[in-house]
Amino acid sequence: MADRLAMSPTATLAVGVRAPTADIYAPQWRNFIFVAPFLFFFTTLLLFPLLWGMWLSFHKADTFSSGNFVGLGNYARLYHDKVFLQSIWNTFYFVLLTVPTLALIGLFLALCLNRRTRTAAVLRTLFFSSSVLSVTIVTLIWRIVFIPNVGLLSTIYGWFGATAPAFISDPSLAMVGIAIATIWWCIGLPMMLFLSALQQIPQDIYEAAALDNANRWQTLRSITLPSIKRTFILVIIIQIVLQFQLFGQAWLMTRGGPNNLTKPIVLYIYDTAFRRWDLGLGAAASEILFILILVAAMAQYLVTRSRGDQA
Amino acid sequence: MKLKKILFAAVSAGAMMLAAPSFAATELSVQRFFGACDADFGTNTDPTKAVGECGIITSLINKFNADNPDVHVNVTTVEWPGYDQLTAQFASGDAPDIVTIHESVLSDYQSKGLLMPLDDLLKSVSVTPDAFTDAARNGATKDGKIYGLPIDSWTMLYHVNLDLFKQAGLVNADGTPIFPKSPEELLAQAEQFKQKTGKPYFVQNLANETALYTRNLYTYLFQQDSDFFADPKHVKLNTPEAKKVVEMYKAIFEKGYTTTDLDYGGSINAFLAGEGGVHLNGTWVVGDYNAQSETKGTALNKGGYAVYPYPQLFGGTHAQYADGHTWAVSQKDRTPEQIAAIGKFLKFFADNDFEWSRTGHLPAYKAVITSDAFKALPHRNTISAVADLGKPLPSAVQRQFAIQDIIGEEMSAAISGQKDVDTALADMESRVNELLANI
Repeated sequence: MADRLAMSPTATLAVGVRAPTADIYAPQWRNFIFVAPFLFFFTTLLLFPLLWGMWLSFHKADTFSSGNFVGLGNYARLYHDKVFLQSIWNTFYFVLLTVPTLALIGLFLALCLNRRTRTAAVLRTLFFSSSVLSVTIVTLIWRIVFIPNVGLLSTIYGWFGATAPAFISDPSLAMVGIAIATIWWCIGLPMMLFLSALQQIPQDIYEAAALDNANRWQTLRSITLPSIKRTFILVIIIQIVLQFQLFGQAWLMTRGGPNNLTKPIVLYIYDTAFRRWDLGLGAAASEILFILILVAAMAQYLVTRSRGDQA
Repeated sequence: MKLKKILFAAVSAGAMMLAAPSFAATELSVQRFFGACDADFGTNTDPTKAVGECGIITSLINKFNADNPDVHVNVTTVEWPGYDQLTAQFASGDAPDIVTIHESVLSDYQSKGLLMPLDDLLKSVSVTPDAFTDAARNGATKDGKIYGLPIDSWTMLYHVNLDLFKQAGLVNADGTPIFPKSPEELLAQAEQFKQKTGKPYFVQNLANETALYTRNLYTYLFQQDSDFFADPKHVKLNTPEAKKVVEMYKAIFEKGYTTTDLDYGGSINAFLAGEGGVHLNGTWVVGDYNAQSETKGTALNKGGYAVYPYPQLFGGTHAQYADGHTWAVSQKDRTPEQIAAIGKFLKFFADNDFEWSRTGHLPAYKAVITSDAFKALPHRNTISAVADLGKPLPSAVQRQFAIQDIIGEEMSAAISGQKDVDTALADMESRVNELLANI
């Protein structure tokens, strides 16, 4: 294509005197100026911190000084650190609790609210409204719900003479409590993504199904769900990446307790790097998180692609 | 001509703006915890009318600003204890001029050269370390120099609901509460209390808490003369002494002698609502609780409020864990005016330590602690003993707040039954030593 343009009509007209023409597709250094602003911020805010984090993870460094090269020493310390291993498990457990629930409830809400009625519009806004709140407000609301003795849950249980489950301090319930708050907070995005996908399904397929006497369940299983398969996978990927980075809710609701059972990796990193000043160890833990998220995202991507090819 | 006028006006305005700072008050940035209460005390300049830590410190700083028009203090209030934020501020070169720091934390920042030694500055405003109480002077001294102006010494106390104690039959003839003298007696009295009142003996904030557990452990290790930090770089916690303490608290938890799922705010509400006999809380609530006990209709008004140091449960030295608050000054280049302004601020707090001691904290100055005015404050006859009983960790122990978190997490796991006591103590010791080995 570029060659064809280079042999422009001007060149053919003046036979023998080939005027030098500019190849607009040829690489030119001044084009760099157009991407320079992006590259500047990409390099300074993303690439440099990423590389610096890797460099730090191989050093014994604290918040106010960087020390000796320790090779894989920090990674070895992580490997033997029960709290870090616990935090990895906690993070996976949290992802397991939240991601499928978010996808299923999001889908359910989208199916229910995919109508052109005023009530559906109001409800869509209501369900999405929690997403605009900051993590501080969300945790404050849920603390008021969960707090023993005077919380909403305690009051309701109190009416029936029962004791409310201790969602903030019970070892087996604390992570569930954080997951409930997170699902309430994050449900807006999956619902919106599913809604937009549902609205893209051509109406005539449904009409054809109706003519074939397909019932609601058959329509859902054979038309709706296959049509939004890609969105479903997109929602899962987005939520996995988001929920892997759990921090604010755990920090503000339980401080990672009881006994580190709700401490996710990001909170471990924060604790290590900023509260214990062990920056090298914190950097090493964040590299592990980076790899985990990368692997999760890549696995999802590969699964999606191979399934897409088969289809 | 018009252009010339505009130019002249602009130059004049610029010159005035440049000249203005020379007439302005010297600005000082002060960062503190103790909470925010601007709605109640934001404009109060009379500290005698304030109650509680937040009210008194807010009013004191308001008074300082009012008394010193040549200095203006800008206050930033941080959530307790605020060290994550302070560390980030130091790391980015944006630390406040003056900041509240616990004596137990001073060495973290001092060892990195981030704090200014205050000996000369304090001398210039006639505040000398020999005026400090021994506890305050030792707490604020690192490597032979003063690194913080001590404002108090604090510790944990037994805050008692006397009405419930009377119901439980745990009062002497003179109306004072009967306290246990051994772990066995403690459990027996707690059982008696539960039987007679139907309520738990202790109100504790055990939900995701670390500080309370750790302070309790330190106190009862001191009472057994356990020198667990003989080497400030290596702790010994997997010991029979520590096991006795943890098992005692585990029994209290398992037998229902304590509230279990409350956080700090919830525990205060529970105690004020009369839901338990003894609240384990610090010196800082004495003023507030006393005010409550004087308000008709409250649970503490019913039978009275009393407050005591922790009872001696073991056979060793009578002691309990204590710490203190200081004003520390960040290390940076300053003008002589700024340094003088900081001196004025510190001197003001040294001079007004009596007002601060009304919170319930023990004064950091000999003249105040021996004064009639201090002795006349409510409950000081029972808690003043802490001035002699109070014992901090050795000052060379670094990262004391991080250590507190580790110990608290492991104690919580052992007491609530998530781990057996031996495993928790072994984990506690190895985690603290791993932390200390990597400083």
